[in-house]
Amino acid sequence: MTALISFDHATLGYGRRVVLSDISFDIPPGDFLGLVGPNGAGKTTILRAILGSLMPIEGTVVEAPGLRFGYVPQRDSVDYGFPLKVLDVVLMGRYDRIGLMRRPSRADRDLASAALDHVGVGHLADQQLNALSGGQKQRVLIARALVGQPNVLVLDEPTNGMDLVSTTQILGLVRELHERDNLTVLMVSHALNEVANYVNRIALVVEGGFRIGTVAEIMNEETLTQMYGIPVDVDEMHGHRIVVARRTAPEGMPIVKVGGRDA
Amino acid sequence: MLSTVLLFREALYGALVIALACSVLGVYVVLRRIVFVGAAIAQLSSAGIALALFLAGTGVIGSFAGHTTAFALAFALAGAMFFGLGGGQRAGVPPDATIGVSYAVAAAAGILLISKAASGEAHDIFLSGNILGITRGDTLVLLAVTIPVLVVHALFYKEFLFVSFDRETARTLGYRVTFWNLFLYFTLGLVIAFAMQFAGVLLVFDFLVLPAVTGLMLARSMRAIFTVSVASALLAAVIGFSLSVPFDLPSGPAIIAVSGLLVAIAWSVRRMQHRG
Repeated sequence: MTALISFDHATLGYGRRVVLSDISFDIPPGDFLGLVGPNGAGKTTILRAILGSLMPIEGTVVEAPGLRFGYVPQRDSVDYGFPLKVLDVVLMGRYDRIGLMRRPSRADRDLASAALDHVGVGHLADQQLNALSGGQKQRVLIARALVGQPNVLVLDEPTNGMDLVSTTQILGLVRELHERDNLTVLMVSHALNEVANYVNRIALVVEGGFRIGTVAEIMNEETLTQMYGIPVDVDEMHGHRIVVARRTAPEGMPIVKVGGRDA
Repeated sequence: MLSTVLLFREALYGALVIALACSVLGVYVVLRRIVFVGAAIAQLSSAGIALALFLAGTGVIGSFAGHTTAFALAFALAGAMFFGLGGGQRAGVPPDATIGVSYAVAAAAGILLISKAASGEAHDIFLSGNILGITRGDTLVLLAVTIPVLVVHALFYKEFLFVSFDRETARTLGYRVTFWNLFLYFTLGLVIAFAMQFAGVLLVFDFLVLPAVTGLMLARSMRAIFTVSVASALLAAVIGFSLSVPFDLPSGPAIIAVSGLLVAIAWSVRRMQHRG
């Protein structure tokens, strides 16, 4: 199967400053990849290389011809001070197809309405974007990414600042879009615990280190302890993997056993 | 009263053209939170005029009126490009600090240059402008700048809106965000450079900010904001001008006072809507 995006021994950085060196991986069609790591580790650098706004210093980043991204930006990069209706925001996802000096057609509006229906917020089409909740805004931005009929849906920290309910709903929606439409998804996040239970594969970026594999290959104590450089436990609860940094007791403080486990 | 106003109708037409151009661009200025960029560009433009007058006084250039326009334009566009490219952010200076430095230095430079210019024009003309001095020729020049700028904004509305609202996504869809930003700032610099010469820094700043704020408080869509912004700017120009002439008040501040009143009314209406 031909990869949609292929990194071949790519070294990425800005000017002379190398952020990540010699990384190789493919994103095949139908993949659901979580690009995970702490802030400042290099996730955005990889994302920029994927989106074509950053050229590799060495090696290559090759994209399949005609590849089209549907991009969902971080919520705070959108200016909610603009008094825009939801439908008008979604229409922006078709601006490049509409072209210069032309207005959205009836067909564009129908596609925008269908995209809103697809993510479950069709009834909000005439509402002001800035009057919506965080979860609703995120659905609108996902609809805008979908209306351009992309090959790859890219989400940048889609659950940042959301509560538990909204986070679960948004991640569930993205998973549903991936399964229902066989959509290739790349989700960037700093929250390993959130992402790990929804994606098929994880690319972990930690302070210059890069590791990619299936969830099982990444979400284990050996790999994570090695990547993060601190002892890490991976527990499983109701089928969900949960990563916890092992707490070390301050010097001189005895470790108290509670219910057979260290407290 | 009407006959007195009609005596200065050419000046009123000029003020209306300036109000129209600034109130359209002002919507972007307010929504993008760059209100003081407008003031700084206007001040830079005035420093350009001051430099032209100073150089004319020393005999380096002639005292041809086109020189002042050229200098005003060059300084305004240089400032617009500078702020459009981030205004020193890459050097680690916060954008508002850069705007403050530009404003203060341009204002001081303008005053110093004018104080040594042979023409002896008072520097406060740049601050308060000279609306009443606008002639039919000036209005035609203002129209020659305003009409193309408004046509550009109508044709490229989608592009200006997209890069203002969400530049990251625009970039991923292939938009040359830096180009569109600079284009927007270029039109801003162009309008300010010409408007500044007649209306002064204060009135240009007023037309760029207050009508758009009125629109933002009363309207619920982009189209409505543009409509309210333009309507309130034209209304303020007509009322302010009409009151200033018979009562022998300075026209610029009179227009600004009416603009302020319209903002206050819009604010009251919005509060009532929220309570209702």
